[in-house]
Amino acid sequence: MSTPFPITHSPLVCWNCHERTIGTHFCSSCGKMLQVPEKSDYFAMFELPRKLWMEMAALEKKFLQLSWKLHPDNFVNATPEEREISLKRSSELNDAYRTLREPVARVEYLLAIEGARVEGQNKQQAPPELLEEVFELNESLDELREAKASGGDTAALKQRLQAAETNFQGKLAEVDGELQAVAKDWDKALDEGADHAKRKGIMAKLNELLNRRSYIRNLVVNVQKELL
Amino acid sequence: MDGLTPEGVSYKDMARIVGIDLGTTNSLVAYTDAQTGTPRCIPGPSGSTLCPSVVSLDADGSIIVGEPARRRLLTQPERTIYSVKRLMGRGLADVQAELKLFPFRVDPSSNNVIRVKLGDKIFTPPEISSFILRELRNWAEAYFGEAVDRAVITVPAYFNDAQRQATKDAGKLAGLEVLRLVNEPTAAALAYGLHEKQRGTVAVYDLGGGTFDISVLKLISTGEGDIFQVLSTNGDTHLGGDDIDHLLQAFVHEQILQHDQIDFSPHGELAQELRKELIALKHKLSEAEKVTLRFPLPNGNVFEHEFTRGAFEALIRPVVDRTMAPVRQALADAQLSPQQIEEVVLVGGATRTPLIRRTVQEYFDRKPHTELNPDEVVALGAAVQANILDRGVQNMLLLDVTPLSLGIETYGGAVAKIIPRNSTIPASAQELYTTGVDNQTGIDIHVLQGERELAKDCRSLARFTLRIPPAPAGLPRVEVKFLIDANGILQVGAKDVRSGEEHFIEVQPSYGLNDADIERMLEESIEYAEQDFAERQLIEARTESESILAATAKGLANPRAAALPAAERAEVDQSVAALQAAVKGSDYKLIRKKIDELNHATGHLAELLMNTAVQTALEGKKLAEV
Repeated sequence: MSTPFPITHSPLVCWNCHERTIGTHFCSSCGKMLQVPEKSDYFAMFELPRKLWMEMAALEKKFLQLSWKLHPDNFVNATPEEREISLKRSSELNDAYRTLREPVARVEYLLAIEGARVEGQNKQQAPPELLEEVFELNESLDELREAKASGGDTAALKQRLQAAETNFQGKLAEVDGELQAVAKDWDKALDEGADHAKRKGIMAKLNELLNRRSYIRNLVVNVQKELL
Repeated sequence: MDGLTPEGVSYKDMARIVGIDLGTTNSLVAYTDAQTGTPRCIPGPSGSTLCPSVVSLDADGSIIVGEPARRRLLTQPERTIYSVKRLMGRGLADVQAELKLFPFRVDPSSNNVIRVKLGDKIFTPPEISSFILRELRNWAEAYFGEAVDRAVITVPAYFNDAQRQATKDAGKLAGLEVLRLVNEPTAAALAYGLHEKQRGTVAVYDLGGGTFDISVLKLISTGEGDIFQVLSTNGDTHLGGDDIDHLLQAFVHEQILQHDQIDFSPHGELAQELRKELIALKHKLSEAEKVTLRFPLPNGNVFEHEFTRGAFEALIRPVVDRTMAPVRQALADAQLSPQQIEEVVLVGGATRTPLIRRTVQEYFDRKPHTELNPDEVVALGAAVQANILDRGVQNMLLLDVTPLSLGIETYGGAVAKIIPRNSTIPASAQELYTTGVDNQTGIDIHVLQGERELAKDCRSLARFTLRIPPAPAGLPRVEVKFLIDANGILQVGAKDVRSGEEHFIEVQPSYGLNDADIERMLEESIEYAEQDFAERQLIEARTESESILAATAKGLANPRAAALPAAERAEVDQSVAALQAAVKGSDYKLIRKKIDELNHATGHLAELLMNTAVQTALEGKKLAEV
C-alpha cells in the first residue's frame, strides 16, 4: 500500500470496523472518527508538510473546516466512546491551531517533534555578546528598586530603563528577523530533500535563536514590570 | 457525515432539551419552538417568566422557590436565601467581605464548600441551586405536558472550573443531564441571531445581578454553516447590579445613622424593606430625573431624601468604572480596537441604567443592541444552543474559550502556564513527570487557574499525587494530560510512558463537592423530590396567604387604619376569617379565590396606609406589595 502524502500517524486499524485505514481524522473504510494517535503531529493534523512558512488564511480555513467535523457538539447523541474520541480529537485540533498560528511556537513545536529542541543549560546566562548591556540593565533595575523603596527620585532612572527597553526590543526584532531567515533555509532544505546532517545543522541554529529570543524576552518583560 | 447517524446505536428518547439561565437574581427556562425556530421563555404558574432565584425552607420541611420564597425574605429571612449564585464553587475565605451584606447564616463547619443554614437545616450552594432548577424543570414539564430531563445551562463566561463544576452538580441534583454549560455572553449573541449575520465582530457587555462579563466574538460564514468563535473573554465574578444596591444601601444606612441614630443591622427585616424600596428607586431613576425616597423609621420619623439622576450616577460610578478594565483587557486579548467592533450587545437587568448605556456607547462609539428584554436574552440564547444540540445536524457551531489560564505549581511556588487564557476549548496540555530520588513512590501535582505568577495568588483547582512503583530516580516517566472540556471543566489523565499503561486519576478538587457528597445529596434530595403539581400549588397558595394575612394584620394595627369605616372593617375581618379557614383545607383554588377576595376587601385600607405622594406612584398595588 502506498503512503499518501503527507504522512499521517493514524492507527492502521480502525477501532470500529477493524479494517485497515488511511484517513487522517476519519476511517477511510467506515467513516467513523479515528482514535487519537499515540504521538501527536500538528502538521499532519492539518495535512501540511513540516514547513515553517504557512499561509495564515488557509490555516484558519482548514481549522474551521475541521472544527465543524470534530467538535463534541456533533456527538451529543453518539455513543460515549465516540464522544470521548471527539473530545480528544477536537482538543488536539485546538492545541494544534493555537501552536501553529504563532510563528515562534511553531518553530518550537517543529524542533520538539524532530527531537531537536534543547533549552539553554542555564536560562539565566546571558549570551556573551549581550553581557555588557545586560550588566548595565540589571544595575539600573536595582537602582530603580532601591529608589522606589526609599521614596527617592525615579524619573531619570525610568528614562534610562525606557531607553534600554527600546534597545532590547530592537534586538528582539533582530532575532525574529534571523529566525525568519533560518526558517526559510529549513523550508528550502525540505524542498531540496537535503540530507540529515544539513537539516540537523539548521535545526541547531533555530534552537540557539529560540534560546536567545527567550532570554531577551524575559529581560524586556522584567523591565516592563518595573516600569509599570 | 456518517458519525452522526451510527447504525445500531440506540438514541436516548428525543425528549425536549431546555435552555436555563440560572441567574443571581432571577432564573428562567426557555425552549425553541420547533415550527418557527424562535426561542421562547416559559412562564411559571403566576404567568411571569422570571423565577426569583430565592429559596426558602418551610417550617414543615418543604422547599419553596421563586416568587413565594421572595416574599418570605421579609417574613422569614432566617429560612430564606437569595443570590446563592455568588456562593457557587467558593470557599468560606472567598466570600468573607460579602457575607457582611448578606443575611445568610453560614455554617461554621464550612471548609471547602460553604454550607448555609436555612432554619435548622444545612445546605450547600449546589443543593440550593438545584431547588431552583427543579422548579424551572417543573415549569417546563407543566408547559409541555411531558418529561424534561436534559438541559443547557448558562454560566458567566468568567466562571472558573470550581464554579462550573458546582453548576453541573446542581443540574445533576435536580435530575437534569447538563448537556452543555454555555457562557452567558455567547448565549446572548445567539439570542440576537447575530450568528445569522454573515460575518463580523461582536462585543457582549453583560452586567447581571452578581457578575460582570465581557466577551468578544467573531462570526465566520463557511460553506458548511456559520461559526461563532469567541476570541476573548474577561470579567469579574464579584461585580454586578447588587453592588449598585449595596452602594445605595450603605449610603442610606449612613444617612439614617447620622440623622436618627438608628444603626441598621443588615440582617433585619427593616433592612430588607429598605433594600426593596431602594431597588424600586433605582429602577425609577432609569426613567425619571429625580425621585424622592420616603422611608418610615421605627422611631416614628420618616427618612426623606431626594435623589437626582446626577447624584445617583456619581454614587454608582465606581461600579461602572470597574467594568471598563475587563473590557479593555478583552479587546487587547482579541487584538482589536473599540472601533473594530461592529455590534455591541447589552445583557443583564443592570444595563438598563442610563449611565451604563452611555458609558458603553461612548467607549465603542456605537449604539448598543437593547431590543431584546435584557432579563430574558440569556435564557433565549440557551434555548438556541439547546436546539442546535438537539437536532444533531447543525448549521451553527460555537467555539468557546477558557477564561483563565491553567497552570501547575513548580519549584518555589511559581506557576507554569500550560494552557493560556482565551484558548479555544476543548483544549489540552501534556506534562512529563519523573522522580527526583530513588524509590520515590509519589509525585505531588498542584493544578491552578489564574493569571498571577505565584501559586498562592491563583485559584487552586486540584491537588493530587501520582502513584509510582519504586524505581531508580529519573527512570519513571509519567505523562499527565490536562484537558479542559467544552464546558470549561478540567479532566486529568496519566499514562506510564514506558508501559503505555493509562491510569485514571481521581482528582480531589480543592473546592467543590466530591462524588460521595453528590451521592449523599442525591439520596437526601429524594425528600424534596417531585411533589405533584397540585401539592406545589397548594404550598404556594398557602405561602401567599401567609404574607397577605401578615400584611393585613400589620395594616390593621396601624393608627391610620382607624379611619376605615366600620362596614369595610367588618368586610376585611370576614375575608380574613374566610381565608384562614380555606388555608386549613387543601383546595388551592379555593385559597386563591379567598386571597383575591381579601386583596379586594383591603384595597381601601392599603390606600389609607400610603401617604398621598407615594400613593400615585404605587397605584394599583395590592396590600401585600405595599
